[in-house]
Amino acid sequence: MTDEAETNPAEAMTFEVLRSALIDGSAARLGRLALAGRKTIDTPNFFALTSRGVVPHITPDNVDKHLDTGGVYMALEDFIERPQQHQKRQPPIYDTPTTKRHPRPLHSFTATPPSVMTILGARRIPAVASPMGNTNTSVSVFTSQGFQVLTTKEYHQAVATLQPDIAIPLADLSHHGPVTPTSKRALRMAERTDEWLGSYLADLPSLSKTATYAPIPPVPFPIQWEYLSRLSEDLLPLKKIAGLALYDPDILPDLLTAHQNLTPLPRLSLSAPPTPHHILRHIALGTDIFTLPFLNTVSDSGLALTFSLTPPPPTSPSSSQILPLATDLSTPQNATSLTPLSKNCTCYACTAHHAAYIHHLLSAREMLAWTLLQMHNHAVLSQFFADIRASLLSNTFTEKAALFARSYEPEFPAGMGERPRARGYQYKSAGGDGKRNRPAWEKFEGDGDKKEVGVEPGTRSEGLETPLVPDEVDGTAAALDHMGFAEIEHGAEQK
Amino acid sequence: MWAVKRMASTSASSAALTFELVAKCSTTRARASVMTLPHGPVNLPMFMPVATQASLKGLTPEQLEGTGCRLCLNNTYHLGLKPGQEVLDAVGGAHKLQGWNHNILTDSGGFQMVSLLKLATVTEEGVRFLSPHDGTPMLLTPEHSISLQNSIGSDIIMQLDDVLVTTSPDKVRMREAMERSVRWLDRCIAAHKNPDSQNLFCIIQGGLDLDMRRECCKEMVARDTPGIAIGGLSGGEAKDDFCRVVGACNQLLPELKPRYVMGIGYPEDLVVSVALGADMFDCVWPTRTARFGNAITKDGMLNLKREKYAADFGPIEDGCGCPCCRPIDEEGSMGITRAFVHHNAAKETVAAHLLTMHNVWYQLNLMREAREAIIADRFPAFVREFFGRLYPDGQGYPSWAVDALQGVGIDLNS
Repeated sequence: MTDEAETNPAEAMTFEVLRSALIDGSAARLGRLALAGRKTIDTPNFFALTSRGVVPHITPDNVDKHLDTGGVYMALEDFIERPQQHQKRQPPIYDTPTTKRHPRPLHSFTATPPSVMTILGARRIPAVASPMGNTNTSVSVFTSQGFQVLTTKEYHQAVATLQPDIAIPLADLSHHGPVTPTSKRALRMAERTDEWLGSYLADLPSLSKTATYAPIPPVPFPIQWEYLSRLSEDLLPLKKIAGLALYDPDILPDLLTAHQNLTPLPRLSLSAPPTPHHILRHIALGTDIFTLPFLNTVSDSGLALTFSLTPPPPTSPSSSQILPLATDLSTPQNATSLTPLSKNCTCYACTAHHAAYIHHLLSAREMLAWTLLQMHNHAVLSQFFADIRASLLSNTFTEKAALFARSYEPEFPAGMGERPRARGYQYKSAGGDGKRNRPAWEKFEGDGDKKEVGVEPGTRSEGLETPLVPDEVDGTAAALDHMGFAEIEHGAEQK
Repeated sequence: MWAVKRMASTSASSAALTFELVAKCSTTRARASVMTLPHGPVNLPMFMPVATQASLKGLTPEQLEGTGCRLCLNNTYHLGLKPGQEVLDAVGGAHKLQGWNHNILTDSGGFQMVSLLKLATVTEEGVRFLSPHDGTPMLLTPEHSISLQNSIGSDIIMQLDDVLVTTSPDKVRMREAMERSVRWLDRCIAAHKNPDSQNLFCIIQGGLDLDMRRECCKEMVARDTPGIAIGGLSGGEAKDDFCRVVGACNQLLPELKPRYVMGIGYPEDLVVSVALGADMFDCVWPTRTARFGNAITKDGMLNLKREKYAADFGPIEDGCGCPCCRPIDEEGSMGITRAFVHHNAAKETVAAHLLTMHNVWYQLNLMREAREAIIADRFPAFVREFFGRLYPDGQGYPSWAVDALQGVGIDLNS
C-alpha cells in the first residue's frame, strides 16, 4: 500500500511465475499477479464478469465482503449508449471525478471496491454478434440502445480516460460463434488487430497507469505469425505489453514454442469455457486467468454448483456413479432441506442460509435467490481454482484433472428455476425462440379486466413486484387447503 | 390473560413483551419508548420495512441488519402460499427460513384476501372466497390465520379483522365490521397457541366515524392484548380524516402499550403520526418506489432515472449515513453516485438493491432522529425542520399536516 508505486504505475503491476510444471506435456503453471493497493491474485484463477459495471445481482459491499474475486472484467459497450433523446451527449462515465480512495475513473464510476482489479475490454463476454462488420478504423458494438460504431480512436481515449488496471486493445473479431473464418477473413483479422495495437500504443499517454494485455485473435498460428512476431520481437522488449489476452487458448502450444520470450507474460483467456472440464484443459495448455460466462448463467437458472477438484469418496466402494456438476434448487426436494447448497462450502449463502431458503426464494421469484446463488457459485469456483493451485504445487494436477474428468458429468444440468428478465442489451433472441420464462400470473378466470391490482405492467418478470394472485400450481383450492391458508368448504354451492 | 405487571409507572410487561416509556414530548403527544420482544429490544417510534415473502427485495438479511432494522414484516398471506404451513413447520418458522435473528411482525392475511380477490365475502365464520384457479369455495377463519402465524413464529402477530375501506358510506356495514372484528379478536385469542413467545395485537376498526372508533377502542383495550394497532386506514381516505382517527384513538389507548398504525409510510405521514402519539408503522412504498428508481431524501423524492442525474456524481443524498451515501473516502462506504444508480436503474437488479438500502435507511433514520428529538424535548423544532426541508420556500405546507400539528401544539407557519 505504499505510494512508491505511484511514480511509475504501469510498472507496478507484476506477474511472477512461481512454478511451471513442464511434466507430462502440461504447460500448467502457478503464478502471482500483483498491483499495489489491490488484492494479490494467485493464478490459475478467474476474473468475475460484470454487466454494466456490476457483478450481476451483487452490490459492491457484497463483492468486497463475500466474493474472493480479485478482478472484474468490464465491457466499454456497457457504458457508452446514446439514449434516443440525448444522441449527442458524451457518455457520463468519461466525466467521472476521482477520489483518494478511487483514484481511477472506471473504479470510481462503478464503485468497484479498491481491493479489486478492473479489466476493460470493448465488448461483453460473450459478445452479441453484430450484423454490421468492423471497418478499418472501427468495430461494431452492442449497447442498451442498440448497435453502435466504436472507433478505434474513441476506444483508445476511453482507456486513457478511464484508467482501468488492465486494458485489452481492440481485436478484429466476428463473434459469430464457432464458425471458422475464411482464410482471407482470418488474415484480415490478424492484420487489423496488429495495426490497431500499433495505433493504441501510439494513442495511449506514455505515463498511462494501465497495463496492456495484447489481444490474440482466434485464428490459426500460421495466419497471425507476423503479428505474434511483432509482439515478441518489437513490443515486448519495449515493455509495451504486460500480458496476453487470448480468444482461443489452443494457440498456446504453437505460440510458446515459437516465442519463448513471451512465456513470462500472464495469459488471460477470453474464450468462455462452458464447463470446469474445459477449464482444466485450458489450464493444461497454460492459461493463467479465465473469464467464465457460465457462472452468471448457472446462477440465473437456479443452479448451485456442487463440484470440487477432488470429488467426494463414493458412497459405496462398488458404486461408480457419475456426479452432477450442479444441483437445481428449484426442485421440490429442497423445500425443507436445511443443508448448505453444497457440502462443506463456507460461503455466505451456505453459512447464513440453507437450500430451503433459496428454494423458497426461487419459487417466490425473489431477487435474493440470484444474489445468494451468485455468491455461492463464485465461491465454488474460487475453491476449485485454489485446489488446482494446490495440486500444481504438489505435482498432482494431471492425475486430479483426470479423476475429475472421470467423476463428473460432462455438462451442467438444465436449471428449471425462473430466470431474471432477459435484458435486451445482453440477450438477443433469434427468430422463432420461445419465451425464456413462462408467462407469469395469468388473469383470474371470469375476471373481466386483465390488469392486476396494484401491479405496474412489466414488473412481474423482473421480480420487482410481489405477486398477489397465486399461480396455477400453488393457487388451486387443494393446495391452499393443504398449506393451511384456508379450507375448502365442502358442500358449499359454487356460483 | 394479559396481566400487566406494573414494575414502575413507566413500564409494563406481558408474557412476551415489555414496553418502557422513555420520554414524552412536552408539547405534542409524541413519545419515545423501548419495546422488548422475544428477539430483542427495538426503539420506538419506528418504521418497519416489509419483507413480503421472507426477503426484503434483494437485500441479504445481513444488509437489512446493516440499515439498523431490528423488526421487519412478513406477510401471512404470501407465506401461506409459499412456502406454506407444512414447510414452515418443518423448517421451524420464518426466522429460521430467512436467517433473520431479529424480530418479525406478521399481518393476518385478511387484508390481501379482501382487497385482491373480488369474489371474497365476509361472513361471521370468516372470509369466504373462490380459489382463483379452480373456483372452489374456500373459507379463511380467524383460527386459520392464527394457526398460520403460530407456524410462522413471528414475534408480533395480528388478529384477523373485518377490513372495510374507510371511505365506505355504509354505516351499518361499518358497524358490523367493527363489532365482528371484536368478536374475531376473541376467537384469535382463544386460538393462539404461543402467548408466551408471540404477541397478539388487536386492530381497532370503525372507519372514519370517531364514535365508532372510540367504542372499538374501549372493547379492544378491555381484552388487554400486549399491543394495539389502528387499522383500516391508508385506503384512500382524506389525510384530515386519517389524522383525526389516529389522534382520537391514541387518546383512548393505554399509555404503556405500543401503538401501531398499519400501512403508512410517507415521511410526512410518519412524522405527523408520531406527533399524534403513534409508535409503529409499516409500508411497502419505500422499497417498492426504490425498484422504480426513486430515492427518498430530506428534500423530497428523486427519480434517478431522469436524464439530469446521468452525470451527477454526488451521493444519492448528501449527508445521508447509509452504506451507499457515506462520504466516499470513509471506510465501509460504497461510494455510490446518482450517476451510477441512473446507469443501472431498471437495467441491473443491483441498482434496485442499492436504492432499497438507501430508502430503508432513510425511513429508519427519520424515526431515529424523531426519537432523539423527543428525548431531548425538541421534537417541535424537529418537525418544523423536517417540513421546512420538504417545502423550502415555506409555502404550500399541506393543510392536513398544518391542521393536525396545530391540534397538538405545533404551528408550522410560525
